[in-house]
Amino acid sequence: MAALLSSHITANAVVGLLLLGALWVARFVRRNRLWRDAFTQIARRRPLALAVCALYVSLGLIDSVAWIGGGDTGGDAVASHQPRSLLDRAFGTSRERSYSAPLARAEFYGQRPLAHPGKHLLGTDVLGRDVLFVTLKGARIALLIGGLTSLISIPLALFFGVLAGYFGKWLDDAIFFLMSVLASVPGILLLIALIMALGKSTLSVCLALGVTGWVGFCRIARGEAMKLRELDYVHAARALGVPEVRIILRHILPNLIHLIVITFVLTFSSQVLSEAVLSWINIGVDGSWGQMIAQAKDELARDPIVWWNIAGAGGGLFGLLLAINMVGDAVRDVLDPRTSKENL
Amino acid sequence: MLAYLVRRAAYGVLVVFGVLMLLFALFFGVTKPDDIARRAIGEKAMPSVIAQWKKNHGYDRPLWPGAGHLTDNLLVDHFRKMLTFDFGRSDADDTPIINRIKDGAGPSLSLTLPEFTCGIGLGLIIALFLAFFRETYIDRAGLVLGVLGMSVSVLLYIIGGQFLIGKLLRWFPISGFDSSWLVRPRFLMLPVIVGIAAYLGSDTRFYRTLFVEEIHRDYVRTARAKGAGEIRVMARHVLRNALIPILTGIVISVPTLFMGSLLLENAFGIPGLGSLTVDAITGNDFATLRAIVFIGSLLLVGGQILTDITYTLADPRIRLE
Amino acid sequence: MTWPSFVAGRPTSCLFALLALAACTNNPYPDTDDGRKVLYTSFNEAPKSLDPAVAYDTTAHEITGQVHDTLLEYHYLKRPYQLIPGLASEIPKGQPLSDGGVVYDFALRPGALFQDDPCFELGAPGRKTRVIEASDVAFELYRIADPRVNSPVTEPFSNLAGFAEFSERLAKLAKSDPAFAKLPARERYTRGGDIAGIRVVDPTHLRITLQTPYPQILYWFTMPFTTPVPWEAVEYYNGKGDHPPLADHPVASGPYLLAEYRKQSRMVLAKNPNWYGIRHPDWHAPGATYPSDGEAEDQSAGRLTSESVGQPLPRIERVEFRREKESIPAFTKFLQGYYDSSGIIRESFDKVVREDRLSPEMAALGLRLDKSVLAGVFYLGFNMDDRVVGSKAGARSRKLRQAMSLAVDMKEYSRLFMNGRGVPAQSPLPPGIFGYDPAYKNPYRVVDIARGQALLVEAGYPRGIDPTTGQPLHLTFDTYDTSAEGRPRLQFFINAWRQLGIDVELAGTTYNKFQEKVRDGAYQIFLWGWYGDYPDAENFMFLLSSDMAASKNHGPNTANFSNPEFDRLFSMMRTRENDNERFAIIQRMIGVLEQERPWIELYHPENYALFHAWIKDVKTAGLSVPTLKYQDIDPTLRREKRLAWNRPLVWPAYALLALAALVIAPGVLTFFKERQ
Repeated sequence: MAALLSSHITANAVVGLLLLGALWVARFVRRNRLWRDAFTQIARRRPLALAVCALYVSLGLIDSVAWIGGGDTGGDAVASHQPRSLLDRAFGTSRERSYSAPLARAEFYGQRPLAHPGKHLLGTDVLGRDVLFVTLKGARIALLIGGLTSLISIPLALFFGVLAGYFGKWLDDAIFFLMSVLASVPGILLLIALIMALGKSTLSVCLALGVTGWVGFCRIARGEAMKLRELDYVHAARALGVPEVRIILRHILPNLIHLIVITFVLTFSSQVLSEAVLSWINIGVDGSWGQMIAQAKDELARDPIVWWNIAGAGGGLFGLLLAINMVGDAVRDVLDPRTSKENL
Repeated sequence: MLAYLVRRAAYGVLVVFGVLMLLFALFFGVTKPDDIARRAIGEKAMPSVIAQWKKNHGYDRPLWPGAGHLTDNLLVDHFRKMLTFDFGRSDADDTPIINRIKDGAGPSLSLTLPEFTCGIGLGLIIALFLAFFRETYIDRAGLVLGVLGMSVSVLLYIIGGQFLIGKLLRWFPISGFDSSWLVRPRFLMLPVIVGIAAYLGSDTRFYRTLFVEEIHRDYVRTARAKGAGEIRVMARHVLRNALIPILTGIVISVPTLFMGSLLLENAFGIPGLGSLTVDAITGNDFATLRAIVFIGSLLLVGGQILTDITYTLADPRIRLE
Repeated sequence: MTWPSFVAGRPTSCLFALLALAACTNNPYPDTDDGRKVLYTSFNEAPKSLDPAVAYDTTAHEITGQVHDTLLEYHYLKRPYQLIPGLASEIPKGQPLSDGGVVYDFALRPGALFQDDPCFELGAPGRKTRVIEASDVAFELYRIADPRVNSPVTEPFSNLAGFAEFSERLAKLAKSDPAFAKLPARERYTRGGDIAGIRVVDPTHLRITLQTPYPQILYWFTMPFTTPVPWEAVEYYNGKGDHPPLADHPVASGPYLLAEYRKQSRMVLAKNPNWYGIRHPDWHAPGATYPSDGEAEDQSAGRLTSESVGQPLPRIERVEFRREKESIPAFTKFLQGYYDSSGIIRESFDKVVREDRLSPEMAALGLRLDKSVLAGVFYLGFNMDDRVVGSKAGARSRKLRQAMSLAVDMKEYSRLFMNGRGVPAQSPLPPGIFGYDPAYKNPYRVVDIARGQALLVEAGYPRGIDPTTGQPLHLTFDTYDTSAEGRPRLQFFINAWRQLGIDVELAGTTYNKFQEKVRDGAYQIFLWGWYGDYPDAENFMFLLSSDMAASKNHGPNTANFSNPEFDRLFSMMRTRENDNERFAIIQRMIGVLEQERPWIELYHPENYALFHAWIKDVKTAGLSVPTLKYQDIDPTLRREKRLAWNRPLVWPAYALLALAALVIAPGVLTFFKERQ
């Protein structure tokens, strides 16, 4: 997936698809009274958190739309031949030689004057990259880890979960066994085993996170499908000879979407946190906030202290997780009729 | 009950078999013994030396059972090694893996046990406190702090803890470990505090939800209407009844305490199983990694079975099918 | 701990903290060890093996170097390095033979003992130790030849007459007879026949015969590879049952013995009472007494005081190695006085060193700074077998390599990543090695982008554009260093080449995959380093001889550089004594490298070591040489300083507690008031 995304044309296509999908969801939410009410409630409860989430998503989008050529690359001959995103272009030529403090006019060590004095809101890192820029670029990675891996594993999980829950018998046995096996390996160890076997790369981290996320979604889909199968109106539909596919599409799927949404939001933050842990042991995703923190932790021992790198990454991560956790609370309260949570 | 236990255990065995197949697919299907050998003995090694190493470590055998090697193959060997707990030797330094796992379990437990028990105890106390003062500013502040706390990555807790408590305040050694019990507690204080702090936010919020839910139940109202004091109600009814879901919920993690903590052990230099795991990752020590993942799974399956048993014990309404 | 959670844990966490503070100390050691001569030091990676025939990593050498005595040693203080006798009573002279071979006769000190060990019961019941004999050294050399042992240093000894043949015979016997492999090592070697070049003349005399002159062989007798090893130890420590493998349990003869070995967390060395220096002070062996002469700077650094000169060794009674995976906590503990010496971590460099000297605040702590250039070299290599950057593309690729060499700014790299440490390398040869010319400046190791661009035009890549694709020339930089630390360093080179318009992609892979790529020749650019085994140019130049090519012979010449002129000069230089002629040959070899550019030489690492005031008589070495037995400690001073530096700050705990109480109290009060 990451390899695909590195090609800017595919990346742009994916962004387009996601936008189309988002528009369709928005239309659906507007038209459906229940969902519209739910959304209004969430928005009323957590307006700020929702806005922050939207901000992160738009950052991710800005950093995903890329094309080749045009713009000023500051004499970087190679860059002019490579796809650069809107975000890259906005920060394109702001490179320094090495560390500089936020809004400084001179380098942190040696006091040489900067090429762009006073322009770096969060200073620059060891290689002179603008920390704000690097931090903002992390948003896309975090969304990729927390969101896109789930968005890809959810359809699969729905398919297998409903299959198992609705049809039962040997199909259920097989799928449930697979889930049990995956769920029996402690989460972080499963991630590590998958990544080590597949080779340390962004792609394998995403795949591993997808696999571990899949189990959670699948379990929920299966459990809910089992319950819904026994409801009177489903029995009635079956007695009337409605095709199974139609029953699933009309009666089962729509009734477990809310649980999937809740799980999605809850999984999101745990996926991002897991990646940070993986980064700490050097098997994370390139450019993630976790990796930034792992790189920046030693800078705290510098004297004078270099704090802006860890502040950027820590702040980016904290903001996203806080917003998601707040929205998650609201989503759960609004969508989940029961108050007790089994899948926290 | 006995029939249920037997059936539950049998399914556990089946799942463990599945885990073993998964591990085989990952560690023999995808990675090649040649790479493991080179990583272990260095880049200067000649092909003959590599062949010798593979022979010494048993990697030169065929993958699947076949004519002439029905039992002498990697698949059978994998199952035999894992099921007899004789995991063979590490790919990285030739030490028997089982020894390292035995050596690591002690340090791991001495970190995770206090972290686990104190963490739960502290979480329960604070949650009870918040539930008692529910709907006041104390409760709301606690909840907000909880969300803030759980949105901070563990990495930042570790970095902050070492910096603040270890370096600036000089309360405890900044990292390290000692096997002697005279010195060991000193080393454990900081990682235990950091470990508790990192998960206190989410734990407390979870427990508080359960308490508040319990407070709103009919029998609590009845008790209160009968004139029972608030503190008595909290202690006698709320705490006791909410403890059932909490305890059944944490039973699953009890066996996995042996596995230690990946991050804390590494950041604080505790030579437990978490450290062993990271060493195995950086050293590309696939044999050790395989053993660790297997043991972790075994313990987790044990935890799952224990959970099911506690459920049935704690709540007689759950029928044993 | 960040403050929100601390406050969230208000009452109890403070209680917890208070309880803890009652017994709070950050001293990581038992109090009983406070006044003793114990040296505390740290290690990062667990040693792979302590088997002297195998151990090759730095941590392992820290141990094997101290516990194994060698026939020869280096003088502690003199530079350039000078050999002194160790277990051998004098340094042998090479006697040329008529057939072109050379003979060395080693005479061992009679009556030296191994350390006490239960394995010696194999020889006679109740025996705890025994005298070291020439056959024990021969046994170890046979072990190096044994394919089962997997020694990494077979190559330098293959010059011994009959060495390679013996290896082959053992391999053949093992293949033909499965029972052979199960025999004890001594038995297998007897069946494998003799190595003619290794002859035990009598219990104290060993004769080594080389087929061709190789004067550097003596250096190998300063390394633990050639230490005497008792056959009993190899037989007893076989890794079966309760017996650990030899790799974890050395049975040795040095000044220290391995008293505790938990390689994942801690290793302890204690004085070996059987060491010849302790048992026979009357011998006045140069390896067992503190030297009386050295360099002029040793005089001024206080390493030749009357308190030290002539003192019997070893002086420190115990050495504790603690594992420290992370550098910053380790350095913090050093500053707290809990480690006696330390390197300087990058992050604290500016605090510790100012204008290349110890900063005033560090000097006030009584610290000493010691700088030494290590006998090593780091470089970027090109795969000379590659289609684009390699020699097949002829002059075109040579100009490309020259241009790329001109873009890499070593000074800036050193400033960014190494605090300006490290000597910019002009050639593979580090300073202090014969053949190093301080006046030599490599014309391609300066930064000159304009000239680089001109060279690219000549090479057919104007402005970095590859004419076949119309895109920037795309190269890959293969690395297995995917650590957080390594990433920005590699990015630095990528950025440098971008200035030429060349697009270099960083291909991070696992070590396995990287090795696979090296084997298959599927790589273009790599970063590599080499530390010399001994102080001789041969040990550096062989990295580029075609005999050592990675693609053909799986050797360490990872660049696959193959140049007839270089090879011819190398074979001439190899066997010569250090004279003017040899110096001239080395310069001509460097000239070839200068033009051909198989490497972009980066730097010779420079070690800045810090020592506390209580550590005495330390002299750092550029080579991996055991020196602990010469050092000394003042434990009283250490205890005073530790106490003064580590008073815990307790008031923040009380302040937090008070603050929490203040915040909560009004809420609690109103709550109960309303309730009533």
